[in-house]
Amino acid sequence: MERNWMSFELHKRKILSLILGLAFAASLFSVEWNSELIHNGGLTTAKQIGLAFFTPDLSGEILILALESSWTTLSYAAAGMSLALIIAFFFGVAASGVMVSGEKNKRLIKPFFRSQLGFMRAIHELVWAWLFVASIGLSPFAAIFALAIPYGGILGRIFADMLEDVPQEPIRALEAAGASKLQALWYGYLPMVRASITSYAMYRFECAVRSSAIMSFVGIGGLGYQIQLSLDDLHYDEVWTFVFFLIILVILIDAWSNQLRKRLIQ
Amino acid sequence: MKKRKLNFVTASVYALILLAAGSWLSIFTVENANLSTLFSQSNLMYASKFFNGLFGIGEENPAFFNAESWGNAWALTMETLVMSIMATGFATICALLTVVPAARNVADGSLTLVKKWHGRISFGFIRGGYIFSRAVPELVWAMIIIFIFKPGILPGAIALALHNFGILGKLCAEVIEDLDSRPIRNLASSGAGRVQILLYGVLPAALPRFLTYILYRWEVIMRTTIVVGFVGAGGLGQQFKLSMSFFHYTDITLLLFFYLILVFAADFISEKARYFIK
Repeated sequence: MERNWMSFELHKRKILSLILGLAFAASLFSVEWNSELIHNGGLTTAKQIGLAFFTPDLSGEILILALESSWTTLSYAAAGMSLALIIAFFFGVAASGVMVSGEKNKRLIKPFFRSQLGFMRAIHELVWAWLFVASIGLSPFAAIFALAIPYGGILGRIFADMLEDVPQEPIRALEAAGASKLQALWYGYLPMVRASITSYAMYRFECAVRSSAIMSFVGIGGLGYQIQLSLDDLHYDEVWTFVFFLIILVILIDAWSNQLRKRLIQ
Repeated sequence: MKKRKLNFVTASVYALILLAAGSWLSIFTVENANLSTLFSQSNLMYASKFFNGLFGIGEENPAFFNAESWGNAWALTMETLVMSIMATGFATICALLTVVPAARNVADGSLTLVKKWHGRISFGFIRGGYIFSRAVPELVWAMIIIFIFKPGILPGAIALALHNFGILGKLCAEVIEDLDSRPIRNLASSGAGRVQILLYGVLPAALPRFLTYILYRWEVIMRTTIVVGFVGAGGLGQQFKLSMSFFHYTDITLLLFFYLILVFAADFISEKARYFIK
């Protein structure tokens, strides 16, 4: 009996892989695989797009435009992240339940704030953007709020998890020395989670840049907007220029956050 | 060494604060954004009209009391689910095919004790491909792909797969880099070939982590399916865009409802599945 159970444990991952593989195979049947899938002349377009990859438009005008829109994208991302951090801080502290005393209060407050965070991050930032544009019109704030809400939800949830996982001994020591809840938060909890939350926030910042680039889709400026305009004009060479700028931006932030993480986590 | 470490971190923090401040400044000055105009009378009216629309106030036949719309939304939900599974599958297959040469310890021969002349080249090439494919957002991939394929769930799945291929590849390559190299070296020194090493050395040790990452990406893909739908790649997103353009706001409430169910269900399933293999 014992041995059978052990071997079942070992086969679990194979069972799961099998289920996933079957689900994928089943999903393939929903598409009718024939030449109808591709546009007439779709392959020619693909070839043009592919060729344009090697000859991006590097004229001065386009480069300046690309630089400007890179800054727009970056600034929306940075502004959105700064709001998201504020949201994450307040909701995260509330959802971790470190500020309330008594088990009963904790059981009431924690699920309430956790579900709020869950709702914020369940809806994709672009959907938020669309809802904001529909209600407050085309303004940079639509992009910033749309970034801040889901990112605040993700960061807040991670922040709450981290606060809950903090070792309890130093906190008890602080409380025994007469620290209030606020002082325990400030001198006990926050210093202990500082490194990990910073490195996670940097990683999300990289994602925020990518998200802010696609905000354009609902009509807010930035790199994605230029990509869309060039695609509509069928200027594939310009498309690749803007895409390369986006890639460079993402890689730069990625490298920065890698360096920062390496130094923080040691 | 310690001093330099502190310096880099503090400098980064200052730079980030400066960046945030500069961003807000440029948003307020260059783009002339103004918080007060945001809450003007007309905007308030638009917003209230929009939210009334969402809840179907003053609407004669709101979509959420209409059996046909429910059926429609359900069909679209299934389509979206299929699209996400297909995208995860494509991304996984491509990532698994390329992941072995993309691991640093395979490329420099420290894992398999075999150093090939093309190890470095294929490592750089594949890693470059990963960076490229994940730096471009799904939506941009979808915009490009839709020029080639007809609207439907296939272009959406391909666009999602292209973006997630880079992410999965990077994550899985890191798993291989962190593997315990002793059993694999043992296999290699007793004469196992490349395929044998992959099947008996790498996969058994790395499979649980691979599965965790695949499930995690599936959650994220589920959330993003709606976005690639916006540019005509099928599923809930496409209908969302159409309803938005026709000002059928009650439809949007219904679609968002189904979308949320889908996202929460994916989270739940993937969490249970991850727990199952633990």
